[in-house]
Amino acid sequence: MTELWRLDLGQATLGLSSRRFSATELVSSALERIRETEPLIGACLAVLEEQALARARELDEAGYDETKPLWGLPIAVKDVFCLAGPPTTAGSKILANYHPVFEAAVVRKLKEAGAVIVAKTNCDEFAMGSSTEFSAFGPTKNPWRLDRVPGGSSGGAAASVAAFQTAGGLGTDTGGSIRQPAALCGCFGLKPTYGRVSRYGIVAYGSSFDQAGPLARNVDDLARLLTVIAGPDGRDSTASSREVPDYRRLDPVKPNELTLGLPKELWSADFEPEVAKILAEAKERIAAAGATLKEVSLPNLRFSVATYYILAAAEASTNLARYDGVRYGFRDGEENELVALYRNSRTKAMGAEVKRRIMLGAFVLSSGYYDAYFRKAAQVRRLIWQDYSKALEQCDLLLAPVSSILAWPFGAFTADPLKVYQLDMMTLPLNLVGAPGLSLPAGLSESGLPTGLQLMGRAFEEPRLLAAAKALEGVLPPVGAPSFRST
Amino acid sequence: MSIDESTVRAVLGLARLELPGSSAGGPNEEENRRAVEVMVDEFSKIVDYMAILGEADVEGIEPLYSPMIDPQPPRPDEPVADPAKSEAILKEAPELVGRYFSVPRIF
Repeated sequence: MTELWRLDLGQATLGLSSRRFSATELVSSALERIRETEPLIGACLAVLEEQALARARELDEAGYDETKPLWGLPIAVKDVFCLAGPPTTAGSKILANYHPVFEAAVVRKLKEAGAVIVAKTNCDEFAMGSSTEFSAFGPTKNPWRLDRVPGGSSGGAAASVAAFQTAGGLGTDTGGSIRQPAALCGCFGLKPTYGRVSRYGIVAYGSSFDQAGPLARNVDDLARLLTVIAGPDGRDSTASSREVPDYRRLDPVKPNELTLGLPKELWSADFEPEVAKILAEAKERIAAAGATLKEVSLPNLRFSVATYYILAAAEASTNLARYDGVRYGFRDGEENELVALYRNSRTKAMGAEVKRRIMLGAFVLSSGYYDAYFRKAAQVRRLIWQDYSKALEQCDLLLAPVSSILAWPFGAFTADPLKVYQLDMMTLPLNLVGAPGLSLPAGLSESGLPTGLQLMGRAFEEPRLLAAAKALEGVLPPVGAPSFRST
Repeated sequence: MSIDESTVRAVLGLARLELPGSSAGGPNEEENRRAVEVMVDEFSKIVDYMAILGEADVEGIEPLYSPMIDPQPPRPDEPVADPAKSEAILKEAPELVGRYFSVPRIF
């Protein structure tokens, strides 16, 4: 049985349930693919080879169980999800040897559904970044072009899924960290509604923004994964107890039944020419398939980058105060004064981007600046929320680009942090309003790089989002498999 | 430029961070000086950009601190005794004295 790694989650489930191959064979194939492609892309911070094989054998001995929707399927998770085994680093030196004593709710749910965790994927340090270049353990490369970034912060997860290491992965999206790398790597990514998935056991960045979600190579597989990870676990008070529908069994929607709103502020951005070309063609295909495209406006969108970075940085500076070198994580052992111990441990083990955001957060929360920055940003957040709700009164879903540029060369923007923040303009608004969004490949550029489109809906309308994405999936050109070209 | 070096130093204090290289001192002074300038310049540009919010009309608008729609009641505050977990937690500590986390003397 060769090349089982080529199968998507649905195909693999068919093979497992009809006993054409075993969980051990499938997991072995994924591990082999990881061994083969890892030297090229570096998507994984840890490969759980022994743990995964032992789990697969256990499953095989017990026999196929149709009540477990992910039975025997190899899955990779971003290294911000706590689980037993290798350290949970969040891409930071300060957590290089951290072994959490608890397991993330979504990891537990994956395992209960029969999934086999095979790898922990790379990310920007504490999920702060848009290129995976800020991982303390080195960047991940884009499988389409090895001289380009995979996007971020869930760049490892996106590159891994795009490179067929696994057919499904989990990431987190605080300001676009699932959707943007999915677009730059040519795969599918879903950011659920804030509160749809428990955040228990996820290394926190911005607690009113963070949400875990799936990456995969088609819409059906996103639905499979979301059905498993959605719902509360009793340990995250922001997780909703609304019923979780079976996202795998949705009434299909035809393109001509869809009215999609195009936010003009996003569509009029300054696009790289190749991106503009792909987007124009994609829009044409969607219109030709019968969807109604309608211009809508989000007038306060120009404030979204400032609003997001103020609020997310404030939450980050609060969340990351816990890393003090005392209870766990890196400690600068030379210090004999308490505050110096905190300061030196943090300074030595945190990267420049994380420090920038902690500083910005401390600044906007400090007395004298709190009202002008933090409170004001929270007020603008409500304006953006109102714009978003109003736009969705005129259409079923919003349709927008994910990134104004293709995957960029390593180092292109590292000297200009503000420029990178501005690149997030397309994805941040969704996190500010807490709504769900789904990024899907829109096509390939002449230079061989993918880009994406995102659908955005109202809170808890993942069923509509998935059904519409499925309709568009049939209309947009498939991007195929990456070539691992070096330039 | 709205931010000067003294503001950056104050923010670093709040953030429990050091200036780059400030504990090293000595031979790298010129390098450190340069690193501080870069930090002040970068931070300044970021804060200046945030001033765009001054153009937003937020008169009478309630702040939105969380997009949560369905708040759940907090779970009951029940202590859990799990000796195995205590051991695992203590194992993560960089420095212990007996079963206590160790920090430098504060008085």
